[in-house]
Amino acid sequence: MPSRPQLTIGGRTIAVDLPHLAFVTAIAAWCAWFCQDAWRAQKGVENLILIVPASAMAMILYIVVAASCIHIVPPQDHPPAAPRRPLAPGMASKIIGTMALLAAYVVCAPLFGFDVASFIYILTMLLLLGERRILVLVLVPALFCAIVIYCFNTLLATPLPLLLFPGDAA
Amino acid sequence: MIDVHALAAAVHLLGGSWQPWLVVLPGILIGLAVHAVPGLTTSMALAICLPLIPYMDFLQALIFMTAMYAGALFGVAIPAILLNVPGSAAAVGTTFDGFPMAQAGRHNEALGLALAASCVGQVIAYLLLLCLAQPIAAFAIRLGPPEMLMVSLWGITLIARLRGRHMARGLLAGVFGLLLGTVGLSVRGAARGTFGFDLLLDGIPTVPAIVGLFAAAELFNLVGREYIVDDRTRRQVNAGRILAGMRETFRHPGTLLRGALLGSGIGILPGGHAIANLLSYSEARRAAKDPERFGTGDPRGIIAAESANASSEGGSMATLLALGIPTGGATAVMLVAFGMHNITGGPAFMRDHADIVYAVILSSLAQVVLLAAAGFGFIFIAGFVVKVRLRLLVPIVLALAVIGSYALAQNLAGPITLAAFAVIGWLMQRFDYPVAAAVVGLLLGRLTEGALLRTYQMSGGDIGFLLTRPIALAILLLLIGSIALPYLRRGRPRLLEKRQGRIV
Repeated sequence: MPSRPQLTIGGRTIAVDLPHLAFVTAIAAWCAWFCQDAWRAQKGVENLILIVPASAMAMILYIVVAASCIHIVPPQDHPPAAPRRPLAPGMASKIIGTMALLAAYVVCAPLFGFDVASFIYILTMLLLLGERRILVLVLVPALFCAIVIYCFNTLLATPLPLLLFPGDAA
Repeated sequence: MIDVHALAAAVHLLGGSWQPWLVVLPGILIGLAVHAVPGLTTSMALAICLPLIPYMDFLQALIFMTAMYAGALFGVAIPAILLNVPGSAAAVGTTFDGFPMAQAGRHNEALGLALAASCVGQVIAYLLLLCLAQPIAAFAIRLGPPEMLMVSLWGITLIARLRGRHMARGLLAGVFGLLLGTVGLSVRGAARGTFGFDLLLDGIPTVPAIVGLFAAAELFNLVGREYIVDDRTRRQVNAGRILAGMRETFRHPGTLLRGALLGSGIGILPGGHAIANLLSYSEARRAAKDPERFGTGDPRGIIAAESANASSEGGSMATLLALGIPTGGATAVMLVAFGMHNITGGPAFMRDHADIVYAVILSSLAQVVLLAAAGFGFIFIAGFVVKVRLRLLVPIVLALAVIGSYALAQNLAGPITLAAFAVIGWLMQRFDYPVAAAVVGLLLGRLTEGALLRTYQMSGGDIGFLLTRPIALAILLLLIGSIALPYLRRGRPRLLEKRQGRIV
């Protein structure tokens, strides 16, 4: 089990949960930026009545949470265990791959068409998740595109941008 | 309390013709089916069906819409349990114990619990509405901005301490959500936190954000696994076990009744349907002798969330019919249907069309029987999700969620919000932050800001103003009590131990 990064300052060992500290710092930074952006947009009570006290509260809570990310390790102790369950081997790359493919899909689908983008996205995801049967790799994305796009465009009358079958809806 | 003449007229309206009943089953089935797609909402389904409304008479149209609403209120529980996809804020509480039950191979029981709790919740809510329609109308009109402010803060605080272990993380998640909820134009037209994108001027699209925070984030965790339920023998869809789940619901009458009453009460408030399930879940956990079991697949969690969710429909309908004020997207679309028939909701509607109000209530009570039957059949079909390999299910559900979010927003804001919040949600889960607190904050951000501003304008900044608002004061005391009580409970045994130690 991986341990937390440790620093030794003045003979004392300090363990820091760096990923968590980075995450909570990002949240606090966004809250501070949002407050400043709202202040810059308009300084009236109507605009800031909730945002300023909520942001101040966020900063106080940030200090409390950030402090909990830092622990002094007693010298006789073993290095403290990781505060979270570690990911299974290979999981991290699969999760990052899934996130990256999702990001690419949400940007590309409205620009290039949901038909082609959905087909490519599902095909790539199937490959990433370990599917190797050719029939499944072709049929699943094709059936998904046909059924879902027909339902949205025709039955639900909700137009989706399409590249190959634009019809009236697109 | 009950206008007997109007009630008799309502019975005549419903019994005199079979036409009002024709639309009940289609309405329930549409409501059930629409939530199979993450991102599609009840209000969207109702809006899609609006063109049909002029072809129906007013009563038939109202019955059709309430049937759809009733079906949808249970429908959201199905993906919430099987996939951890709440679909809407109304099913967030159901995921907490529903998905762990599904992962443990108890999906049949979980779906049965949700169906029974939903049906009972609706029956209780409509019985209450039948008896209390007139007093509810009189009470609802007394709720002003200070009361709404207190309810919002109470909701966020309760959800923030839901996980119990890290109070500061829960509160930070709630405040973060609250700030996210205020992104966009202020009441004075100032653009806040939009990064210069016009698409964010209306605020962060809530449904894609919720689907991202809960569904997509959980789907990332399922990457690399073969099935939702690992044990093959537990993947069966079994009618007997669904019925066992339905029977189990009645072994917890306290949780069921508390959820239904809380849902009916909170449901009358704007946005109340979205937080009723979470407040009820939180209260059930607080009241339990073994709160640590909640979140691990405890049937009481599903009962509390689903009974409150279903009963909030009765509360929403009370506000719509009595005041003509929609409490959410679905009732807003219903109000449009009122307009299509040149009818205005509100106190005058209650006075002049009491027979129609009672007819809607009676038909909704009858709908519950049909919902139980149709819901049972639908569970049987939907339950086969656990037999599908995750390597197929994950990309399909993610793609459906993206398409649904685009269809809802009709621009890039929907899909981008979904993807961004999916990553945030996964990180929140990873670092043990209650995602639900951020969701409730996001949902209530605008409402809280508006209520706070109007309270400030009404009071002129004088805090003593609260003393003149007994309902707001009572909710404030509830808020303080709900925070302090767990600490007092924890502190009491320690105090006793100390005293005993001294005596010994």
